[in-house]
Amino acid sequence: MVQLNPQFGRENEASPALIIKVIGVGGAGSNILDRTMLDGIQEVELTAANTDVQSLTASVANHKIQLGRNLTRGLGSGGDPELGLAAAKEASEDIQSALSGGNIIFVCAGLGGGTGSGAAPFVTKLAKETNALVLVLVTMPFSFEGRRRCEQATTSLQLIRQWADAVVCFENDRMAEITLPRMGIHEAFAAADLTISQSIRAIADLLRKPGLLSLGFDEVCAVLREGNARALFGFGEAEGENRAHDALAKALRNPLMHRGEMLANSANVIVRICGAANVSLGEVSMLMEELNRHINDGTQLMLGIGIDPSMGQKISVSILGSLGDASERPQPVTQTRRVQVPTPVEPVIEAESQVAKSVPEPESPAALQEEPEPVLTIPPRAPQNEAKPVKADPPAKPESKNAEPKQEVLQFESVSRGRFEKSEPTIIDGQDLDVPTFLRRHIKGK
Amino acid sequence: MARDNIFAGLEIGTTKICVVVAEARHDGTLKVLGVGNAPSRGVRKGEIVDFETAKRCVHDAIVDAEERSDVEISEIYLGVTGGHIRSFNNRGVVLLEEGREEIDEQDLEDVRTNAREVSLPMEDCVLHTIIQHYYVDGQDGVLNPLGLLGRKLEADFHIVYGIRTRIQNAIRCVKELELETADVVINSFATAQAVLDKHHKQLGALVIDIGGGTTDYVVYVEGAVKQSGVIAVGGDHITNDMSIGLKIPTARAEKLKLDEGDVTLGVAFPGETIMLRDETGFAGREIEREMLNQIINVRIREIFDIVSRQIQSDLNFLGAGVFVTGGSSQLRGIDHLASEIFGTSARMTPPLPLAGVTSAFEHPQFSTALGLVKYAHLVHLDRPAGKSFFGRTIKRLSGMFRS
Ligand SMILES: Nc1nc2c(ncn2[C@@H]2O[C@H](COP(=O)(O)OP(=O)(O)OP(=O)(O)O)[C@@H](O)[C@H]2O)c(=O)[nH]1
Ligand SMILES: Nc1ncnc2c1ncn2[C@@H]1O[C@H](COP(=O)(O)OP(=O)(O)OP(=O)(O)O)[C@@H](O)[C@H]1O
Ligand SMILES: [Mg+2]
Ligand SMILES: [Mg+2]
Repeated sequence: MVQLNPQFGRENEASPALIIKVIGVGGAGSNILDRTMLDGIQEVELTAANTDVQSLTASVANHKIQLGRNLTRGLGSGGDPELGLAAAKEASEDIQSALSGGNIIFVCAGLGGGTGSGAAPFVTKLAKETNALVLVLVTMPFSFEGRRRCEQATTSLQLIRQWADAVVCFENDRMAEITLPRMGIHEAFAAADLTISQSIRAIADLLRKPGLLSLGFDEVCAVLREGNARALFGFGEAEGENRAHDALAKALRNPLMHRGEMLANSANVIVRICGAANVSLGEVSMLMEELNRHINDGTQLMLGIGIDPSMGQKISVSILGSLGDASERPQPVTQTRRVQVPTPVEPVIEAESQVAKSVPEPESPAALQEEPEPVLTIPPRAPQNEAKPVKADPPAKPESKNAEPKQEVLQFESVSRGRFEKSEPTIIDGQDLDVPTFLRRHIKGK
Repeated sequence: MARDNIFAGLEIGTTKICVVVAEARHDGTLKVLGVGNAPSRGVRKGEIVDFETAKRCVHDAIVDAEERSDVEISEIYLGVTGGHIRSFNNRGVVLLEEGREEIDEQDLEDVRTNAREVSLPMEDCVLHTIIQHYYVDGQDGVLNPLGLLGRKLEADFHIVYGIRTRIQNAIRCVKELELETADVVINSFATAQAVLDKHHKQLGALVIDIGGGTTDYVVYVEGAVKQSGVIAVGGDHITNDMSIGLKIPTARAEKLKLDEGDVTLGVAFPGETIMLRDETGFAGREIEREMLNQIINVRIREIFDIVSRQIQSDLNFLGAGVFVTGGSSQLRGIDHLASEIFGTSARMTPPLPLAGVTSAFEHPQFSTALGLVKYAHLVHLDRPAGKSFFGRTIKRLSGMFRS
């Protein structure tokens, strides 16, 4: 049940002096930073930290930190997290000074490689030591990148959780369900970079852009610090007649949202609606009503409304939530939902929202199908990322002199997609057929 | 090209673009008037990835064909391929209403429509609905049910579909060159027309076209298309494998493949090597013959294994055997390897002889493009004069892509 509790003047609480810093660790981390930078973010300090000088040089970040100046000498860590960590330790002073003085620190990295996996936990620890609110945004590798990379990523994520206030974890496999079937892996990465940069921007805006209804820093922290530090995020933007509905639908369609399913498990949800002065209360209440269908009665829902003249005819919706442990489902009705809307709107009748819950989700294929039930249904193409680790079968007896420790990395990096760069990967029965057959079969030359 | 007895076919291949112009003669035979050919750029795995570049190459091939055939091309049969193309078999059913017993054209159209009424993912569109067999009141072996008496008409179809926007890329390319697309044909069907005769189709045959970027296959059993598919792997992969495995640049790997490519294992004498020469003819590195063959062998074997798995259920019905074509079929020993894997006779095959084809185009690379005009010719012969139902079906199918 939505409780209307008009409370004004909260905007004063939002501190205009809030200092936000973003640090990208490793190759993927700095690509995400670049995206964030290029998409335009104001008054945020961006720092790229990497072992790989080449990638660092290419980055558009305003601060750059070379990790492992003596240890890795400008080269990457070759997929070795221990080397990544040692490299970061070598640069700890640089990192500390870059992070000091921030109220909120975002750490982003692609886990799986050496620098990201090894250095990001350490950077998170240093960030936490500054007493800032620390939000970490990471990607988990595609399963076809190999078991070793997945394990490295998992280990790293556990370490990060020890220090972070919240972790938003983007699983490449899942994001690719949406993007990869039609794109190459690099586009999939670019799409991931975009999603992550949107999250950073939305959270930053949530905290400091002026609004009719601003959320306090403390409230946002409370949401993010709660639960098992797993955050949910969705962002959508739309214009036109149905812009409120469309923007929400887009936000829910975000790969991290699982079509809104996960929202039901979220203990706290923050919604921020942003638009030019033309956002109407009707739109706001309609949007909240729709969102109500996706959340649990036990969920605490907080609303912020931002006014940004540059939005023109557009409206955007950001949804941020935190997830409890998947095992502990939220207890029903322990507290009433608290939604604050600026002026009294017709209260939503409870019965109505009950009915609404039984309405099929807008995304369900059945709802999209106009024709009557056909005889045969062809399932959508299996996502390309079905791929099992490239090195599925055990290596044929490692001949000692040929057994290179860093072979796993070779698959993904050295054996680049080369001439197949621009085309969609050919993955059949879990094998990436663009990788030479003899490599996948471990046939060695002399 | 106002005369309706002239056909043009276009294959936008990964390595070359080929346009064939042919004329249907009064005695029912087909004569090729000219073939245009141009190297292809901006195409990967059989699909356009760089539109403007690919368009220029298609333009070159068209101009070449027009000059050689002295025909101004206005309409073209467009071959398409790509890893997104899928297929399945489905049966359609129609019941004749009370009081009517004779099967008419409308019933044939209805049974086809009924078979096509499947729910495809929204992004997909149907490319072909090919008749396999008709059944009248449960009786099979009906070649043409038109005019037969019955209560129930059933028909099996082979249905091919693909992602609409990806098919449209090729159509758009043709359109921007001010040409009409007469019909969209998947490459494997076209290729089969070039390398199989009626007899082979009846006996059962598997056609595999290994090109530069894709491997396209089709199975005929009892004269009908039984299965088809595309695997987005081709000669480019072999070159890439060699370049990585032998640590040589791509261009050199490509040349080595053309000169020495062989899938045969265990025939090199121990330690046999090939001397790699650079452009100036200087001797460079030595490459081990057995390793070279090994790299190519495992790749081709893998392609054949995938095809074999995908057509498993029809492996025992390939009375005429396996026909391997496309540029990459010229790897030495490929027929033996195919025969070993498919457990039946196999051969590397160029297109069947066709009047007017000069020796330069009697190679397996040109099976698809030559097959396209043969396909067009077949459609033409099948269509009684005037606007038959079949003609309308074709128009409607291709109309879907034109808008
Ligand atoms: N979002 C995104 N993810 C990427 C990108 N490139 C790679 N990744 C993912 O991030 C993981 C880590 O890759 P990198 O960031 O390149 O590796 P690194 O941390 O620099 O580590 P080393 O190069 O081994 O020192 C990979 O396993 C991929 O899953 C990118 O451009 N964007
Ligand atoms: N003698 C040869 N031995 C081995 N491979 C060859 C030989 N001649 C050509 N090829 C290979 O054949 C391929 C080109 O074949 P083809 O012309 O049938 O392909 P395409 O039609 O351009 O491509 P696709 O149909 O896959 O889009 C190239 O990879 C080329 O290296
Ligand atoms: Mg790196
Ligand atoms: Mg071809």
